Amino acid sequence: MSALPNPKTKDEQAARASAIQRRRLTDHAARAVVTFGGSGIVLCILAILVFISLEVYPLWKGAKAELVGRYNLVLPQRTPIVTTDRTVGDSNTSESSESQLTTINGSAVGSEFPILALGVEEYKKIGYIVTSTGRIDFISLKDGNTLEQVLIEGLDSRQVTSAKGSLDNRKFTLGTSDGYVLPVQINFKVSFNDNDERVIDPEVVAGELIQVDTFPITHVAFEAPNEGTKAVAAVTSDGRLIFLSELTTRSLLGEEKKEQFKHDLTSQLNGNTVTAMALDGFPDNLYVGTKAGKIFHWDMRDKANPKLNDIIDATKNPGTAITALGFLIGDRSLIVVDEAGDTSTWFLVRDEESPGAKRLEKIHELASHQAPVTAIAASARDKGFLSADSKGNIILQYATSERKLLEIPGQSIPIKALVFAPKANGALAVDEKGTLYDWEIDNPHPETNWKALFGKVWYEGYDKPEYVWQSTGGTDDFEPKFSLTPLAYGTLKGTFYALLFAIPLAILGAICVSQFMHPSLKNTIKPIIEIMAALPSVVLGFLAGLWMAPLVEKIVPAFSMMPLVLTIMTLISVFLWRLVPKSIRGKFKEGTEFLLLIPVFFLGVQICLWLNGPVEALLLGGDYKAWLLNTLGLQFDQRNSLVVGFAMGFAVIPIIFTISEDSLSNVPKHLTSGSLALGATRWQTAIRVVLPTAAAGIFSAVMIGFGRAVGETMIVLMATGNTPVMDWSIFNGFRALSANIAVEIPEAPHGGTLYRILFLAALLLFLMTFILNTVAELVRIRLRKKYGQL
Amino acid sequence: MKNFWKSGDPFVWLTGGAFIFSLLMIAGLLFLIMAKGLGFFWPTDIAQVTLEDGSKLLGQVRGREEIPQPGSPIGTPERRRIQLQIGNRDVYGLDFKWVDEDRIKKTDYPQDAVLFERREWGNMYGFIKEILVDGKVVAGGNKESWIALNSYLPKTQEIYKEIKRIEKKEIGDINYKIESLRLEIRKIELQEAITNLSIQAKITNLEDQIENQKKLYRDKEFELESLYKKQNKDKIVVVTVDGREKELSLGVIVRSYQPNTMSWFGKAVLYLSKLWEFVADEPRESNTEGGIFPAIFGTVMMVFIMSIAVLPFGVLAALYLREYAKQGLIVTIVRICVNNLAGVPSIVFGVFGLGFFIYAIGGTIDQLFYPEALPNPTYGTGGILWASLTLALLTVPVVIVATEEGLAAVPRNIREGSLALGATKFETVWKVIIPSAMPAILTGLILAIARATGEVAPLMITGVVKLAPALPIDGHFPFIHLERKFMHLGFHIYDVGFQSPNVEAAKPMVYATTLLLILIVVVLTLAAIIIRNRLRKRYVYSAF
Repeated sequence: MSALPNPKTKDEQAARASAIQRRRLTDHAARAVVTFGGSGIVLCILAILVFISLEVYPLWKGAKAELVGRYNLVLPQRTPIVTTDRTVGDSNTSESSESQLTTINGSAVGSEFPILALGVEEYKKIGYIVTSTGRIDFISLKDGNTLEQVLIEGLDSRQVTSAKGSLDNRKFTLGTSDGYVLPVQINFKVSFNDNDERVIDPEVVAGELIQVDTFPITHVAFEAPNEGTKAVAAVTSDGRLIFLSELTTRSLLGEEKKEQFKHDLTSQLNGNTVTAMALDGFPDNLYVGTKAGKIFHWDMRDKANPKLNDIIDATKNPGTAITALGFLIGDRSLIVVDEAGDTSTWFLVRDEESPGAKRLEKIHELASHQAPVTAIAASARDKGFLSADSKGNIILQYATSERKLLEIPGQSIPIKALVFAPKANGALAVDEKGTLYDWEIDNPHPETNWKALFGKVWYEGYDKPEYVWQSTGGTDDFEPKFSLTPLAYGTLKGTFYALLFAIPLAILGAICVSQFMHPSLKNTIKPIIEIMAALPSVVLGFLAGLWMAPLVEKIVPAFSMMPLVLTIMTLISVFLWRLVPKSIRGKFKEGTEFLLLIPVFFLGVQICLWLNGPVEALLLGGDYKAWLLNTLGLQFDQRNSLVVGFAMGFAVIPIIFTISEDSLSNVPKHLTSGSLALGATRWQTAIRVVLPTAAAGIFSAVMIGFGRAVGETMIVLMATGNTPVMDWSIFNGFRALSANIAVEIPEAPHGGTLYRILFLAALLLFLMTFILNTVAELVRIRLRKKYGQL
Repeated sequence: MKNFWKSGDPFVWLTGGAFIFSLLMIAGLLFLIMAKGLGFFWPTDIAQVTLEDGSKLLGQVRGREEIPQPGSPIGTPERRRIQLQIGNRDVYGLDFKWVDEDRIKKTDYPQDAVLFERREWGNMYGFIKEILVDGKVVAGGNKESWIALNSYLPKTQEIYKEIKRIEKKEIGDINYKIESLRLEIRKIELQEAITNLSIQAKITNLEDQIENQKKLYRDKEFELESLYKKQNKDKIVVVTVDGREKELSLGVIVRSYQPNTMSWFGKAVLYLSKLWEFVADEPRESNTEGGIFPAIFGTVMMVFIMSIAVLPFGVLAALYLREYAKQGLIVTIVRICVNNLAGVPSIVFGVFGLGFFIYAIGGTIDQLFYPEALPNPTYGTGGILWASLTLALLTVPVVIVATEEGLAAVPRNIREGSLALGATKFETVWKVIIPSAMPAILTGLILAIARATGEVAPLMITGVVKLAPALPIDGHFPFIHLERKFMHLGFHIYDVGFQSPNVEAAKPMVYATTLLLILIVVVLTLAAIIIRNRLRKRYVYSAF
């Protein structure tokens, strides 16, 4: 290059200088843009992991509670009760009996403040208390003022001695001092005033008085599951247990028939003192807890003839009094708490010894209070419940996952009444001194912990702990089952069968192409394999599910014979090939002779199809499906792992092939030449020299293939039945993590537990493939270095 | 024999066998899809099958297979059966019927059998009895009716087109206007106090406009009604093979033909027209019939948006990694990570797209710019933009890797020559390196497009639907609607093949769609391979 011409004028000089300046500026700017933009993009890509992790993280956060109000309740004014003949003793005695025996949501408490039950409406604006005076006080939770006091109609100034609230705390059952039981319903009318503020108007509707006894009722339970059925269980102050039921049936002609049963179950108690009682909503089962720590279980399905099913020692140390019994939502799981502070849930499990019978079994052992538990309250939204103890501590736990979500430390004053807000977003409690606490509870993901996600969990209605994935159910009281284990199992099962098919084909093929074929053939082979790799998985899935699955179903015996038959046919053709004169053999370019196998394979497949019928008839009794079921105990599904393995193997073969072939053909030439020169056959060279050298590369190829199979979604989605079963049978399907995400995430509400668990599944897939690929990549880098040194 | 094993040849041939088997699988797959996908459009003859009991069936033979006889002893003669598409779903309830061959007494191909492709209830096979216009018979008998039918049909087709135009274009316009007016009112209400008089006037004005549009809408409906009446005025009476009569209005017939009388050439013309319908028409009958134009359009548009996003970013990142960043441990790690990202399952990207693009970004956009439409999401739900960006993220590693390869392959002497002549680094990169790496960049892009075209799993959760009401591009301002949901070829395969109520009838459609998809992917991949090979050759020469 010649020297630059000298600048002629100053202007030109200046212009050139500014041009250089401009170029420099552009260069700097470009550097800044590329550096900033490039590193930004790389960071963004890597941020995927961070974002997904952030979405998963809230699953592990416990619940949060915030005390939003604390008010001293004004003692209701005691109007001296005029005792009638029916009541036992005078007001003093009734008071004293009350102080021993009042129940709050099933818990017995020594009383100072005469509260019997507590409730809160769904917007958490109004709380209400039921006191022994037979009045319901509605308290504003904004300021603690009493808004309204409603005398319960029909109670006729009877003293209330016990009360029990329902889960949604809209229904209460009151027991009176003269042996009556009264169901009460509390309704809230919601309207909007001129300023668009919500106005809530409470209303108390009393039901029909039912006479059970003449003595004061200390524990009461009432259930009316449908119009015609009513059931009352009550314990009187002198320790008698009475069960009363009423069945109204309507005949075809519209005549009403009323049946009433009254049973005194006291004798069956064997002198035990009842301290807690629970009747389920069907009502089929009555559970009674005693002072000696026993649970009595009556089967009430036959209302005319209650049957004492079981007497169980329910506490850790026999003799610890059971302080309260209650149900989780759904009325199947029984919550048992005792004087030692232990909490547990129980339900009925099929008895293995006597078929048809059910026995009460302890299912979940939960966190202990270390102090007598005084009150429990179950959530109306999930399988969680609150329990409070005599030190004023409150614990929130979730039964299914056995997870302790929250502990609210107390003021060392026993809690007398406790209630969960209907939307499970808050709780109210009243202690013995009459202080009302109002908590706001934020508990978005109670269902998950490591155990629930990966361990065996004993779900309601199951006979033993199991791994189950069932994220949604038909009813509100459905217990979500979030075990990722069957899904991970499905993923691995599919991957296993895919690799079982793909690894031999891909690696043998790679050995063939790299060692025994003329290099010029590679240029035609590589594009074919690349096209195989580019085939959309939805196509493979569709063919596997709709074309191959029905086809394979017809010819399973032929299909399983194919590997053997084709191998034998290949060997026979080698034998024949060796008989061909060398002059003819020499005309084939190295590697093209294998094309002669194409007709052989067609013939082999045809032979398999011919043999299908005879083999099935001779060896498999004529019907392979029946044979599988009877001999091996395997169920045959049309869309099974065999089909998936084949289709997914098809997707994985090109990946394993390409990488193996790369590392095999990059083995330094002097190694193979040396081996061949020393007289080894080409097979010996391939297997003893090339393969060991390239082993690491083949390993990394398998790893990457494994990663691809793990994440494959569409094939698994379309070619399996997507049932989350756990067994290794090749003849049934599975549900993989990836397919599960694709199926369920469109239905999962944003931010909910299911949504986050699916993100967790995605995170697992991400990490699994990322780690596999990184290991494979590192192995390859090392291998390349090794080749460089050889 | 010992020599046989010792030579190693059997093992060598076994590896060859494995390889040939893989090749056969690919070839078989392509052949299968080709045959099933292309064969479907061929108008095969209509067979009239007379069974032993004297009953007759009319339809096209679609398949033949051996009857499985589990539990039968060896030597039982094989029995076969044929699958007959008998159509007439409204009469028989089922489109397909398997007929055992040993029950067939006679098969013939009646000259006057007619196949009607209908807009609903699938195909109809039968014989024409007569044609009615305004309830009067204008043509009876087979031959005469066939001629009459062919003269009346084009007219009703015209009416049908007009109806579609009004329904889609004009009524669509009106609905669009009403919706945007409604949103405008809502926007004003959200922003300003309604007590203000001028605002109130504005709202009333808008409400009046809505009323006007509604009036227009009613007019159009009236017009449509009369068109429908006109369309359904002419009727044809078809007799099925078992003698049942069915009255069809000409308006429901897409096309009718008598394959048994057609020449090979006539069939070929019909074949092409059916093929064209498949590519250019909208789907009918919950996607199991008609065409797949919206799916093709959606796929192409999605890939286009994805390319716009992926190309600059991928190239920028590759430039940074290869040209500007200091080569060291960190860059090596980053490079490995980016490489590995290409191996991360696509569904994970889908989940990320759902959480990040749709809920985080889309939700924010909705709150900031489209509060009037809430709680109906605008961008806070799946759409073509989010799906494209998700796929861009999925494929950006492919572009980065390919571009890096290309940048690395640019010979050092070219680079140094440019710098020695006084070019700045940027000038070198921009004017020398990028142009010579262009084929590599292109290869990366094509590979990315091929991958994106075939990917379905992430799309399923970021905005693909089985039937989109409108294309993402239309005549309404702002013409390109990136928030709309769209249809996609791959998802079409999944949906029609696995979610449709009548899988048997839908299968040919799925095969045809599959063929199209594979064709696109294979052509793209081949293009990438060819470009890459050329590129390699060029560098081989330029290196010396």
